[in-house]
Amino acid sequence: MTTSAMDPATISGRTVARGHAPKKRSVGGTVGRTGVWIVLLVYALVSIIPMIWLLIAPSKTAEQLNNQSPFSFGTFANYGEAWNHLLTFQNGVIVQWLVNSVLYTVAIVAIACITAVLAGYALAATAIPLKRSLLIITLVAMIIPPVALVLPLFIEISNVQLFDTPAAVILTSSFYPFGVFLAYIYFSTSIPKDIYEAARMDGAGEFATLWRIALPLSKGLFGMLAFFSFSASWVNYFLPYVLLGSAENFTLPVGLGVLFSSTPALNPGNGAQQSVIGRPEIALAGLLLAVPILIVFLLSSRLLVRGVLAGSVKS
Amino acid sequence: MKRLVIGIVAVAAMTLSLAACSSATNSSSGGKPTLLLWVDTPRVPQAEMYQKLMAGKETIKIEVIAQADAQTKIALHNRTKSGWPDVIFGAAADTAQFLDPSNGYAADLTNLVSKKVFDGFGQGNSDCKFDGKYYCLKNDLANTVLWYNTKIFKDLNLTVPTTMQEFADTAMKLKGTGYSAGAIGDQNYYASFLQSSECPLAAVPTKNTVRIAPNDPKCTRVAQLVQPLLDAGVVDKRSSFDAGFIADVAKKDKVAMTLGPSWFGDFVIKPADSWGVPAGEIADAPMPAWGTGSDNKSGAYGGGVFTVSAHSKFPQAAADAAVWLTTSDAMATATTTPTFPAYGPANKLWEKRISADPYYASNPYPAMAAGANNISQVDRPVRFAFVAQIGTVLQADINGGKSLKTALDDYATSLQKLAPSSGYKVLTK
Amino acid sequence: MIAPYLVLLIAFGIVPVIVAAITSLEPSVINPGGGPLNYLQALQDFRFLPALGNVGVFLLLYVPSMLIVVALMSLLLDTVQGRWNVPLRLAYIVPASLTGATAVLVWYFLLEPTLSPYKDVLHALGITQGGQIWRAPNLAWIFALMAFFTGAGNWIVVQYGSLQSISDDILEAARIDGANAWQIGWRIKLPLIQKYIVYMGILVFAAGLQVFVEPQLISSSVYPGLASNWSLNQLSYSFAFQSNNLGGAAALSLMLLIVCLIGAVFVIFKTDFFEGAGVKEK
Repeated sequence: MTTSAMDPATISGRTVARGHAPKKRSVGGTVGRTGVWIVLLVYALVSIIPMIWLLIAPSKTAEQLNNQSPFSFGTFANYGEAWNHLLTFQNGVIVQWLVNSVLYTVAIVAIACITAVLAGYALAATAIPLKRSLLIITLVAMIIPPVALVLPLFIEISNVQLFDTPAAVILTSSFYPFGVFLAYIYFSTSIPKDIYEAARMDGAGEFATLWRIALPLSKGLFGMLAFFSFSASWVNYFLPYVLLGSAENFTLPVGLGVLFSSTPALNPGNGAQQSVIGRPEIALAGLLLAVPILIVFLLSSRLLVRGVLAGSVKS
Repeated sequence: MKRLVIGIVAVAAMTLSLAACSSATNSSSGGKPTLLLWVDTPRVPQAEMYQKLMAGKETIKIEVIAQADAQTKIALHNRTKSGWPDVIFGAAADTAQFLDPSNGYAADLTNLVSKKVFDGFGQGNSDCKFDGKYYCLKNDLANTVLWYNTKIFKDLNLTVPTTMQEFADTAMKLKGTGYSAGAIGDQNYYASFLQSSECPLAAVPTKNTVRIAPNDPKCTRVAQLVQPLLDAGVVDKRSSFDAGFIADVAKKDKVAMTLGPSWFGDFVIKPADSWGVPAGEIADAPMPAWGTGSDNKSGAYGGGVFTVSAHSKFPQAAADAAVWLTTSDAMATATTTPTFPAYGPANKLWEKRISADPYYASNPYPAMAAGANNISQVDRPVRFAFVAQIGTVLQADINGGKSLKTALDDYATSLQKLAPSSGYKVLTK
Repeated sequence: MIAPYLVLLIAFGIVPVIVAAITSLEPSVINPGGGPLNYLQALQDFRFLPALGNVGVFLLLYVPSMLIVVALMSLLLDTVQGRWNVPLRLAYIVPASLTGATAVLVWYFLLEPTLSPYKDVLHALGITQGGQIWRAPNLAWIFALMAFFTGAGNWIVVQYGSLQSISDDILEAARIDGANAWQIGWRIKLPLIQKYIVYMGILVFAAGLQVFVEPQLISSSVYPGLASNWSLNQLSYSFAFQSNNLGGAAALSLMLLIVCLIGAVFVIFKTDFFEGAGVKEK
């Protein structure tokens, strides 16, 4: 359900992608090939239909959404119209939600990546006490879904008076054991131990070694860490929903939930006369949430494939 | 060790600076009262009117919440002991929860609001009276009436029913014609049928005791009357909001009549993206009576209240806001005012507006007014999730095709199990 | 160097569990004395067993379908090299961007027989009414469907990645032995990525156990209350914020956490997934 806890992917880049050498086809494989293609294409179609629907939904009015064929296109003007309607909700608070989402996500990605790289490096390349215990705790924290801790986190955050502050969401979401593990695997496998040793022999401290030797070799790692922490925090709903109280602090996913449950779009009892937020408007808001993540996914799919689950974890 | 210290300091500093910049925005300015109002979408226009009216004198902040979230959000703030709204819009059941000592959010309004205001409400504010004290002000009344289509009634030569038996007989005449006597698969079955029949599902004989008795004759007579209509297909098991019901029946202008709250006309029947019934066809009539004499109550589907915070820094200003929101003339005459104002004088003004609406075939006001002060007082606002349970059990059973008796029994059983967790003793007889 | 992470780990990984453990003993309306009775009361609540059943059915549908479809699709995808591979992968990852409220909105339309792009398919199946879809017995299916499409794409791409890492020598050897594509897929590739599939299964299970957003949001839309208290997490949320019973909520949360914890410990110590990660004692 979450993308955060994806996997210990190998990001060493050691696994050279196989070439596109033509494979020999087995006898009588044509029927099988056709079958494979049908399955692949049908699944692709099923995968993109919802997104296509969402992309064109805001082009229509609420009435057209109900009456016209699902894939007919309305007008481009309707996107603008729907956006203007969204701006009427609490004096354009949706803009604030967008800004918050961007700010929180940037802060989370930055803190999460930096702490993960530092910790990963420390676990992999330096001698620290309780290394094994720390690794095990990190693994446990990585496997437990973040949702499991939401209520305990709420209790803690409310005890320290951070409820309904951006810090509540940023700090709690910056805890990123999966990233630490990724970085640990990376530093312990893809950079030869000798290099660290050599640097230390030259009298470099740990920070200097990390800064001068390890980091320049870690662009791929940063990309990977940023990708996973972004995709987890941009869409996160439950945690900010519980930790934030006032609309001006909400993120876009939480705001969308508010639009969803407090406007007449899906619940006519909410007063169709008093609000112009209908289904096209909700669809547009959904699109604002979905499109950035879609773009990031598409841009980094190369990264995901090159980084493979394999190799280093097996040692 | 040094690094550890530096690290901790860095994170702590970050935490503090973030906390500081967020709390800086919360500080109020000077002695001018600042009020935070939480309202649902339909109440936004009136809140904004008050905001404009008080411009310069008070800072009014408005936040839109879903009505169903009111209790949850207050509970969150109870835990954090800060950030409560000064005034919140919700259901009377929310107020029942808020005034409980375990919650403590609701302020006693008995002395903050003048007696004249309470007198103006008449019966209208009865839901807000708990143990002789007022803890909220009623915004609107959502009493049920009979909505009917004058064109269809004329075509089929039907007369408007005045008793529930006549309602059933009239509905039976629709059998085979393709016309419908409404959809019951949502809260409407509770409000228009069970509650108007005074079936005790949330009766509160004494404080902290709740009577949930689905075998009371006033409960069993409901299923006896309606089940045959459901079986004959003249009453629909779907919800009035169900896309299928709207497409198959309502949009085709096939609803001959339906019981429903006073807001059905403006909210459900009229809007083009809802039922979209053409102008000049719809009228309403008083709620048909179950029996003779005082056995003629109406139910209520919705009808919200404003509750004031006991934690407000400006209790009088907050109470005044709640008074204005429920009683002002401006609210009653605005074009976007949702429903039947509970406050008598405001209601008179609202009458002028709705009476002049050319959409209706005849003046809808008299029937609404007739039922407004005759809402069943058997079920009271209670602290457990009475209404949410309608959706989870009663509606789910009806939509799923179970018999109305089973649906009611299942619903009552779930309430009997739910009530003790809110500290109620349960009577089942 | 490890300090910043350590601070976060302690503050938001360990302290919340301790705080929750303390909170779980707090008194409540139904347990004025507080104490471990909260745990028993949470388990005895009349909504607990139905919620457990709901989540159980949901997991039975969701986890196997994820495992089977992801394994199958990544194996099929692996047989297609060349320029069509990339667009297919991209297509599979598209639904992962529809989460939370967006997913609920989109699926409401996809499943509403009067509005759906799949109208014809639904009608062919005899489904012409939203009421036939949005019913309590179907909810597990609907949420499994939503969760599946949100999660499957990423996993297909990741598992495809692990297939890519199988060395060509092994596959070539199999081909020389006369194995056909199916046999290679079933006998060679699948066993080689088996442990990643198991790992994925545990993660998917742990996440599925915590289902919350979808039932919560659908309950505040066209079908009010339809799925309120449907899942265990929703129940814990209700305890906390509707019944003023934070103790019971914390107790239920902790019990769910322990189930996930057992899963985690199992993966770490009973599978060879993290072998070589420096966890096991040499």
